[in-house]
Amino acid sequence: MKNTSSINIFLKEVGETSGFGWRFLTQWFRPRYEIKEFIKQCYIIGYKSLPLIGLTGFIMGLVLTMQLRPTMVDYGVESQIPAIVGIAIIREIGPVITALIFAGKIGSSIGAELGSMKVTEQIDAMEVSGTNPFKYLVVSRILATTFMLPVLVILSDTISLYGAYLGVNIRNVTSFQLFWIQVFDSLSFNDVLPAFIKTYFFGFAVGLIGCYKGYNSNKGTEGVGKSANSSVVVSSVLIFIIDLLAVQITDLLGFN
Amino acid sequence: MIENDQNNTIVLKIRNLNKAFGDNKVLSDFNLELYKNQNIVVLGKSGSGKSVLIKCIIGLLKPDSGSIEIFNKNSLDLNTDELDKIRAKIGFLFQSNALYDSMTVRDNLEFPLRRHWISYSQDEIQKMVVQALTDVQLAHTIDMMPVELSGGMRKRIALARTLILKPEIILYDEPTTGLDPITGKEIINLMVEIKNKYNTSSLIISHDIKCVKYASDNVIILLEGKCYASGKYEDLILSKDEKVKQFFE
Amino acid sequence: MKNIFFKNVKLGVFVLSGLLLLILLLYMIGRNRNMFGSNFNLRARFENVQGLKAGNNVRFSGIDIGTVKEVKIINDTLMEVEMIIDKKVKNILKKNAIVSITTDGLVGNKIVNITAVKSPSLYAEENDILPSKKSIDTDVMLRTLSKTNNDIAEIANNLKLTINKLNSSEGLWTLLNDKTISKNIDNALAEVNSASNNINNISRDIRTITKDIKKGKGTIGKLIRDTLLSKTIEEAVNNIKNAGVNILKLSSDLDNTVLNIDTIINNGEGTVHALMKDSGIVIKINKSLDNIQEGSKGFSDNMNALKHNILFRGYFRKLEKSRQKQ
Ligand SMILES: Nc1ncnc2c1ncn2[C@@H]1O[C@H](COP(=O)(O)OP(=O)(O)O)[C@@H](O)[C@H]1O
Ligand SMILES: [Mg+2]
Repeated sequence: MKNTSSINIFLKEVGETSGFGWRFLTQWFRPRYEIKEFIKQCYIIGYKSLPLIGLTGFIMGLVLTMQLRPTMVDYGVESQIPAIVGIAIIREIGPVITALIFAGKIGSSIGAELGSMKVTEQIDAMEVSGTNPFKYLVVSRILATTFMLPVLVILSDTISLYGAYLGVNIRNVTSFQLFWIQVFDSLSFNDVLPAFIKTYFFGFAVGLIGCYKGYNSNKGTEGVGKSANSSVVVSSVLIFIIDLLAVQITDLLGFN
Repeated sequence: MIENDQNNTIVLKIRNLNKAFGDNKVLSDFNLELYKNQNIVVLGKSGSGKSVLIKCIIGLLKPDSGSIEIFNKNSLDLNTDELDKIRAKIGFLFQSNALYDSMTVRDNLEFPLRRHWISYSQDEIQKMVVQALTDVQLAHTIDMMPVELSGGMRKRIALARTLILKPEIILYDEPTTGLDPITGKEIINLMVEIKNKYNTSSLIISHDIKCVKYASDNVIILLEGKCYASGKYEDLILSKDEKVKQFFE
Repeated sequence: MKNIFFKNVKLGVFVLSGLLLLILLLYMIGRNRNMFGSNFNLRARFENVQGLKAGNNVRFSGIDIGTVKEVKIINDTLMEVEMIIDKKVKNILKKNAIVSITTDGLVGNKIVNITAVKSPSLYAEENDILPSKKSIDTDVMLRTLSKTNNDIAEIANNLKLTINKLNSSEGLWTLLNDKTISKNIDNALAEVNSASNNINNISRDIRTITKDIKKGKGTIGKLIRDTLLSKTIEEAVNNIKNAGVNILKLSSDLDNTVLNIDTIINNGEGTVHALMKDSGIVIKINKSLDNIQEGSKGFSDNMNALKHNILFRGYFRKLEKSRQKQ
């Protein structure tokens, strides 16, 4: 009995989230356009996340390189480190780790912000004030996460690769030029484009879940905390699911 | 049924309003009329459905049945654009103020002016914002954030925000709840001042007896989803009915 | 107002830098893929493309000059490889240049190698089919080397058994009285013994070398590159095979000799002494012993050649050094 009801709750949640996403898809291109708010959100969501994402990206590239080195040396392919790290970062680790950090930072803040706006009736106040709160709050944020995450991922990839370059140079000397040539040599469009395209979906997922959880927050401060928490959890899981789908689709299309 | 000596135009008429959440019947066959330049106080216990009532009026909740006529138009039949034009003439003061935390006081006040069919010049907006803030005696807070203000100040900023479009009807949701008695009195004085200055009609939701005493032209007692009793404060206070008496103790 | 202006500027810088990096990344990859810039097509046909794929590099005398555009199947025994070649080599590359498929390093990607031929010819043009060379698959070569080596090891074991048989043969010891035969046998035995030791050592060495090559480790793994490697492996395999043939012959000769002597003695065909007088038999025995000596010498020669094979030279030198140290 309890089992079925929790399954029902889960299904209801999935259904409502899909409905929310559908509402976004049918609304975002219709006027009125909240361009100012969109740009403001881009600034907060994109630009303001750069230091955190840059730092984690840098450490990731550095650590990945240092962790890989012993094994690569064992196999006598130390010179292949830039190629392998490059592929790993561009194809998988860069997008996914950045998206997860992004979910942690932005998903929770959107969930909490919209949640507290809901609880303190700010969303109702917007509606009464003649502004469509869905467009003003939700559309602008989902669009901002969708378009900012890919930018963040590219910057993070670059910083990660720079970290990897430093990592290579701890024990060895590789010129800056040679490192990049090796990285680019090993990459193909099939590595970059699917990885780049999936980041849009990651961004969309983080924005959608954060907004849905916040927008449908329960009354009370506990509800706000729950919204923030569950938006991080759900969007992180969703990122992995999208990642799985992405790899399967690129496989099917023969881009691997 | 109600004597009104000031003006005979009805601005708000509610007929047989029903609203239930699942099995919880909050409003059942509720009736109300609000005349021009009249202040009605709706008295009711906590959880009796007062907030539900005014949210139905402003269109935040959809009633199950009944009619709500605002300026002789049934607000339930309107599309979003028409509803928004009606809403522009109604001020709504939220129980929790609902000030936008992420915006300055100025931006909070400018927010209702964003309506797409209104376009004011920068100068006009500045003038309106200053005017509204002066009405609530808080002109100096224009560049502050809501969190920097006290509870009473926030209530007054919220009031300024509802006033900025010069509404003809103002709906107050428990304007004095959560404030100390002195600040509460200040808000009540402000409500009376506004009514006299702008010739507005107001529906004041409250369980504060001071509100009734100083700000009401008429009182409605909301009990079990119905209009249980109505009349002037001076009359109701003499009522023998136990259920009415409990509000005035 | 000013605040918002600066925020927008920062946002603009942020977005543009991301965009710029993406464009740069795609451009860099595209440059490698020959997607941008001018180029022309060349083709070559093979029986087996060994897993060559679109996107693999094309090298001309060791310089990257293009990529594989497509690998097509023409019929069940012919594959066509279409290559995109940089225009810069258009007036350098000739029609008679030879195309082969090799591996970039030992464990790397497949690459197409174009090698110039010294004889005069016209310059290659758009869509020309260049002559191709059947290439040697290093992987297959390594497998052959390892298998040949195993065979040799087995033969060496056989040889040891034969020597044992020789030692335990009664007839043989009787023969030792005869001075000439006795000296001959001594020589042959010594030769055979050293040959069999030699085989064991070398076959062990080869095993480690092939293992190392497969792992891509050690000096050999680092230094040896495709074509050179396949050539040396081919030589090594031939040497080992020859050595194997020699040793097989040696082993059967030995077997025969012992058998001969034993049957003669066991059948009691006269006294030993009388037997010895029979010069026919003595000549026969002496001749087979000569054969044995020759066979083992041939084997040793092969092994020496193997030692001087480029592939193993460095390795054996190192081995020698470490032996001297001990
Ligand atoms: N959105 C809602 N969903 C379900 N029940 C609600 C909702 N809003 C109000 N109620 C219920 O309606 C009743 C009246 O609530 P409300 O009008 O807020 O009371 P109050 O008179 O104190 O303002 C309460 O019992 C409350 O549980
Ligand atoms: Mg209430």
